[in-house]
Amino acid sequence: MERLGRILMVEDDQKDVELTLTALEEYNLANEVVVVGDGEEALDYLYCRGAFKMRTGDLPAVMLLDLKLPKVDGLEVLQKVKSDEKLKLIPVVVLTSSHEEKDMVASYKLGVNGYVVKPVDFHEFVNAIRELGVFWAVINEPPPGSVKK
Amino acid sequence: MARSNANVQKAPSVVLRYGLAIASFAIALGLALLAQGFAFRNVEVPLFLFAVALTAWFGGSGPAAVTVVLSIVFFDYFFTEPRYTFYVSASELPYFIVFISFALVVAWFSAVRRRAERDLLLARDQLQLEVEERTQQASLLDLTHDSIFVRDMDNLIVYWNRGAQELYGWTPEEAIGKRSYDLLRTVFPAPIDDINADLLQSGRWEGELKHTRADGTDVVVASRWSLRRGEQNQPAAIMETNNDISERKRREDEIRGLNRELASRSTELEAKNKELEAFAYSISHDLRAPLRHMSGFAELLQKKASSVLDEKSQRYMLMIQESAKRMGDLIDDLLAFSRIGRVETQKTLVNLEQLVQEALSEVRQETDGRNIVWSIGTLPNFYGDRSMLRLVFVNLLSNAVKFTRTRPRAEIEIGCDQGNKDEVVVYVKDNGVGFDMKYINKLFGVFQRLHQSQSFEGTGIGLATVQRVVQRHGGKVWAEGLVDKGAIFYFSAPKP
Repeated sequence: MERLGRILMVEDDQKDVELTLTALEEYNLANEVVVVGDGEEALDYLYCRGAFKMRTGDLPAVMLLDLKLPKVDGLEVLQKVKSDEKLKLIPVVVLTSSHEEKDMVASYKLGVNGYVVKPVDFHEFVNAIRELGVFWAVINEPPPGSVKK
Repeated sequence: MARSNANVQKAPSVVLRYGLAIASFAIALGLALLAQGFAFRNVEVPLFLFAVALTAWFGGSGPAAVTVVLSIVFFDYFFTEPRYTFYVSASELPYFIVFISFALVVAWFSAVRRRAERDLLLARDQLQLEVEERTQQASLLDLTHDSIFVRDMDNLIVYWNRGAQELYGWTPEEAIGKRSYDLLRTVFPAPIDDINADLLQSGRWEGELKHTRADGTDVVVASRWSLRRGEQNQPAAIMETNNDISERKRREDEIRGLNRELASRSTELEAKNKELEAFAYSISHDLRAPLRHMSGFAELLQKKASSVLDEKSQRYMLMIQESAKRMGDLIDDLLAFSRIGRVETQKTLVNLEQLVQEALSEVRQETDGRNIVWSIGTLPNFYGDRSMLRLVFVNLLSNAVKFTRTRPRAEIEIGCDQGNKDEVVVYVKDNGVGFDMKYINKLFGVFQRLHQSQSFEGTGIGLATVQRVVQRHGGKVWAEGLVDKGAIFYFSAPKP
């Protein structure tokens, strides 16, 4: 793959991470996935601080964001990102277990770019992840300043 | 009696009155002539004056005047010189004038006296009438259900009606003359001086008092006081009207208590609801994830190890995945069901026909390759929560599609019964496998299923959801079915 955007995945559940990576692997999309385990780490990554102090400040092509996260939860991360002049260019897709309507409404109000409920069925899950990966990392033209491989 | 006497005295006939004048004069003349015959001197003048006075008294001034004239003429004729003529000598003129004046004065006096007495009688009659009227009014006060008593400015009871006797238990004889506050052991809502000041200023006072009855029990009354003023505008008496409101007060207290309880219950309920919401939220987040992992890793395992797994093991893997999927469906349905109970309904005017079309497109994938004849009648507009009502149709239509699966030609009808003017009744009718009416009470229960899952899949929450939505709209659901002959599901709701 020549034009592959970096995917920032914010997910605290290692099993979900593994399943997602497996799904992406099948389509050779897993290489440029950066996984962080909670909201604080996600913000550290985006602001190049803490453990990510040495990182160059490129923006990810897409951020896959779980809502139920330790420390800083997904909606807070979303709110911070969408209210930052630079960061708000990053497309954010909420990837959650929950069907809760109020989460969805709150996310859209904060300016989320997509909202995906993780299907229980593995095939559906793989399909969803693959389509997400293909669309955001390959088809979609990311905003200026994103990492291109 | 008094009145009829007064009438007779007031209007004796003219004949009688003038007859009296002539008769009294004639008697006086007769007596005078008789006295003259016996040689008594100077009796005639007093006799005539007596006749004048008598006539004035009983006959009035007109007849008295007649008596005076007659007396003078016949006095002149019989008793002054020259006798038996009407001649009056100049020297006797003053005598006549004095006589006339005296007679007139006597007549005037008796007329005035008479009139005064007549006025007096009239006043007495009027007084009697008034007393009669007042007595009647007082007995009217006895007829009222209110308890009324009157006390003077020293709070001594001067009047006590039957209502007061019934309410407090004392007879008027026992109550009158007692100090009202002492008798009733009044408990005032405010200092009595304030109440009295209020009463003196405005002439009225209203409030709630606590009294004690003759038998020692307490009674709460709504009390209204009116001040009566005397002729010099000085406060004269207070009329106190009391109504027993003990029962009302008791009920008010009861209602207040119930309201308090209700408020605390609803706070409790609200807290429970919040808890439930948090619980449901947590389920939807946390329970689905392990299921996804189970199904995901089982799938991965199967993919990786399919070459070494025998047929039986392959089937076990498949069953793990199916179970995880089913568990996921159950959780989703249960969450949707609990959400209906938790969220507020947002009511708008909903076009049911449009809603049915939407529901139809949602169940479309279940109808692929099936021969289904849909007949959709005219449906009214409905006042309700759109997304919830949509769930009703999706569930009912999907059921109808599911349970007609064994039919080569399925017939599903959606229509509206214009039953009565207060409610809308919508039905969904199919020619599917139906159900036995003896299980009707299980039809709308959560997790209740009337078919084995290998013949018809399902979580058993659909109809429970339908029922809950309809009930939240103030309506009812019911169904009719026959085994192998189809089913009709109805729901009703009040018209907008």
